[in-house]
Amino acid sequence: MRLERPSSTAEAVAALASGRALAGGTELVPLLRDGIVEAETLVDVSGAVPHGISGQTIGAGTTLAELEASAGIPAALREACRLAASPQLRNMGTIGGNLLQATRCWYWRLQFPCRLHGGDTCHAREGQHREHAFFANDFCASAHPSDPATALLALGARIRTDRRELDVAELYRLPTENDRSTTTLASDELILELELPEVEASTYLKAMDRQRWAFALVGVAAARVGGETRIALSGAAPVPWLLSAPDELDRATPLEGTAFKVEIARTLVARAVASL
Amino acid sequence: MARLIKSEKEVEGRYEEVWTLVEEDALVQWPAGPGDVVGRDAPRLDGYEKARGEARYTGDIKLSGMLETALLRSPHARARVTRIELAPALAAPGVFAAIGPGEVTGVDAEVHFEGAAVAGVAAETLAQARHAVELIEVEWEELEPLLDADEAVERGSLIQESRRYERGDYEQGLAQADAVVEAGYTTQTLNHNPLETHQCVCEWRGDSLDVHVSTQYIWGLRRDLAEGLGLPQDKVRVVCEFMGGGFGAKNGVGNYLLLAAELAKRTGRPVRCALSRREENVVGGNRNATRQRVTAAARADGTLTALGGEYVCALGWEGWLPPTSGPMQLLYACENVKTVEHGAKLNLPPMAAFRAPGFVEGTWSLECVLDKLAAQLGVDPLELRKLNYAHADAMDGRPFSSKSLMECYRRAEPHWARRDEVRARSDEVWKRGIGMASQIWYGGGGPPSYAWVRLGSDGRANVVTAMQDIGTGTRTAMAMIAAEELGLPLDHVEVQIGDSARGPFASISGGSSTLPSMGPAVRSAAADAARQVIELAAQRYDREERLLSLKGGRIVSSDGGSWPLDEITGLLDDGQILGKGARGPNPTGMRVLTFGIQLAEVAVDVGTGEVRVEKIVAIHDVGRVINPLGARSQIEGGIIQALGHTFSEHRLDDPRTGTVLTKTLDAYKLPTIADVPEIVCDLVDVPDEHLTNLGSKGLGEPPIVPTAAAIANAIRDATGADVTSLPITREEILRALHEAQARGRKEPVAAGAA
Repeated sequence: MRLERPSSTAEAVAALASGRALAGGTELVPLLRDGIVEAETLVDVSGAVPHGISGQTIGAGTTLAELEASAGIPAALREACRLAASPQLRNMGTIGGNLLQATRCWYWRLQFPCRLHGGDTCHAREGQHREHAFFANDFCASAHPSDPATALLALGARIRTDRRELDVAELYRLPTENDRSTTTLASDELILELELPEVEASTYLKAMDRQRWAFALVGVAAARVGGETRIALSGAAPVPWLLSAPDELDRATPLEGTAFKVEIARTLVARAVASL
Repeated sequence: MARLIKSEKEVEGRYEEVWTLVEEDALVQWPAGPGDVVGRDAPRLDGYEKARGEARYTGDIKLSGMLETALLRSPHARARVTRIELAPALAAPGVFAAIGPGEVTGVDAEVHFEGAAVAGVAAETLAQARHAVELIEVEWEELEPLLDADEAVERGSLIQESRRYERGDYEQGLAQADAVVEAGYTTQTLNHNPLETHQCVCEWRGDSLDVHVSTQYIWGLRRDLAEGLGLPQDKVRVVCEFMGGGFGAKNGVGNYLLLAAELAKRTGRPVRCALSRREENVVGGNRNATRQRVTAAARADGTLTALGGEYVCALGWEGWLPPTSGPMQLLYACENVKTVEHGAKLNLPPMAAFRAPGFVEGTWSLECVLDKLAAQLGVDPLELRKLNYAHADAMDGRPFSSKSLMECYRRAEPHWARRDEVRARSDEVWKRGIGMASQIWYGGGGPPSYAWVRLGSDGRANVVTAMQDIGTGTRTAMAMIAAEELGLPLDHVEVQIGDSARGPFASISGGSSTLPSMGPAVRSAAADAARQVIELAAQRYDREERLLSLKGGRIVSSDGGSWPLDEITGLLDDGQILGKGARGPNPTGMRVLTFGIQLAEVAVDVGTGEVRVEKIVAIHDVGRVINPLGARSQIEGGIIQALGHTFSEHRLDDPRTGTVLTKTLDAYKLPTIADVPEIVCDLVDVPDEHLTNLGSKGLGEPPIVPTAAAIANAIRDATGADVTSLPITREEILRALHEAQARGRKEPVAAGAA
């Protein structure tokens, strides 16, 4: 395995034609070790993507630990970072990488031939799925695990890559028969920066199986932006899930084992909205 | 004098009649209360070594030329290897040897659970060994696995014959009752997850085998390995100097160990075999899941008239039926008790003993149903427990060697009295309450066990015995006992343990038996050394022996004289005083048990099902406490492990394939320090006057026994919700809250759950 360390965005993008981007490594390294991701070349992008916070702009290389300690960013993002993972992981993991986190679905992680792996069955639907999705779970019941992505979705953040600008919502797509990927990012595309709007108020609430270091059973981000209230959920669908209104929860499609998540989501959405 | 007696031997609730060699134990117990060393807080002697990373665990053993091992394990819960080709693995870089099905015990072509070993490869590096395993060509014939415990019982797939017990007349007991509560409870499969996974290094020296291994039973391993390999026992040396936990999973010889021994023999090199965390989470042993149906019946005043339990234990492919009915049979003075236990044999990884096996699961259901009964009768739950107090063994009328459970209950009163105050701190979101549960378990230890104490010319002592310290602080406790008896400061005592070639036989560290089995032997050895010192001192100082004693590093005469100990030992030059000690018998005709009660204070978020445990009070009676600091540490550790078992730990299996889905520590959720509440430890600390020269029982297991039930009872106290399954997940809380609401609509809420 080769490690490249480009010092410019252009060099990094060129290297990504045949390599995988490595930032904090908290996700990629375990996936490589498990053989879920294969790569001949790793491209250390830490010298090629911006790092740090400047006004409303966050460099993709900024770590979760830095974000949780930044008073200037919206509370939802700060809280989402603080409640994610463990201090060790947050010291390494970057916000750009975190947006691209893969699902924790155990069937996918253990390489069952599931739909996300190109197979024709969702093993979770009929199997163990208490940590799985209750929206958009028909094809694949995996749940998106990122707390910060959900916060950014509710905040209405914009993403700048090496070639385009897009809403956080546009970064994600639901897997389909013809395309099993959960993001719209090209394989050599690099997330450079996040741009936050002016946010009047925001919050992030998270239900998990223990007090710390667990992925969300349900995470709820709520933000008031331009007088409008935006709500997003983590642990709810194969991608971070934007809730058009609280009563969209009535149209959730939980599996037998994820019905409780809808109930938790209802409570947390009400509490989050009330706190804005 | 040595004596051969026929006695009952108990390990973790399993009794067998065995011939046991015992030596009479003539020593009188020390007076109750703290001595000069015993009964006073002592930090671990090896604390600095461990904190600095200097303690050598099995994983730190690096021998010259040592090879690493990787195993090919079955991905299927039930299958047959129809073809296997090891040649590609043998041809891979760095590989020295490979072993296939049938070449070692426990490595077979027929597999009955996921993770069963079918081959192993030894190579220079672990990466090479793992790569070579991937090259092994193997074809499987997959077979339909049996995964459901109830189905297994129905089909008669049992590990052993179902166990039935009845005393009195159960049906009549039910008929006499004013209230009968029947309820179903479940518990989950749990993994031990010791910090140190199962591992060993095997090295042959000529026809002798040295084994460095993480084990709870050095001598059992030596015996079983020798037998398995056809060697005289003294040709096998077992070393375990430091250990990173076992919790019951490391009592015996694993196939990984036999495989390493064989690979070491074939290659002529030392061979390491260490389970990865993932392997540990599949085949490292587990606490079996249970489904339980229990009934409690009582008269209006709370007097129990009948207890009944039906237990289905999902044991996996191998194992034994743990005493899940034990608490129901032993904890209360109920005349009519009927239990039946089934041990389902399934295509799932084998169970292993896990910190009070059976009693943890059985206490969960018994103590929960008892609180329901108390609520139904409107009887105070603490009063109900006192009312049904067992003054003698409820199974056979034998007296207890000691029992201070009533004192534990008395000490629980002020905590229980906080109930209204705690409940009053509830608000719209957080409902607060207190719950309790009693604890009963074994923990008396037994003979045989031996120790030597060596006193050198510098007046310092060395305790030598081939026992293991599985992480409980045994090493420190043994030094304290020797120091107390020899009248030496603690820092004048060393302890040499962990090597079968370096000391006499020592018992298993299981069933909370290390301290009660080994401690008396150490005291006896120290007393033997002390007696010799006094004999010498009597000659040297021309005093009668009866006037002399050892205290504060000096020889003290009751007529006023006193001399430094090393004045006598200094005469020895290179000679030494050798004390020899043995563990005496347990009191005949008496039942030796440990007791306690725990109270939990919880806050429940009724909107999200989140539970925060705010405080656990643990009051236990384990006889004399040797090291209060170490004892508190045991209690805290047991409770933290119990919290994981109560809320977040759960081995999940795929219901169709039998694949373990929670192989990693993000999915199998151990508690973190953020989950740990205030823990208040209170030990009754009264010596058991009938038990050995110490009066001490074990404390490894008791603290984990009642915690889950105390928490569940607190949740009921706070919310009226009856949780019935472990772990108490968000969904379980929400389910129980809805059920309580529905019940509340139909009938007024019971007094205890207002």
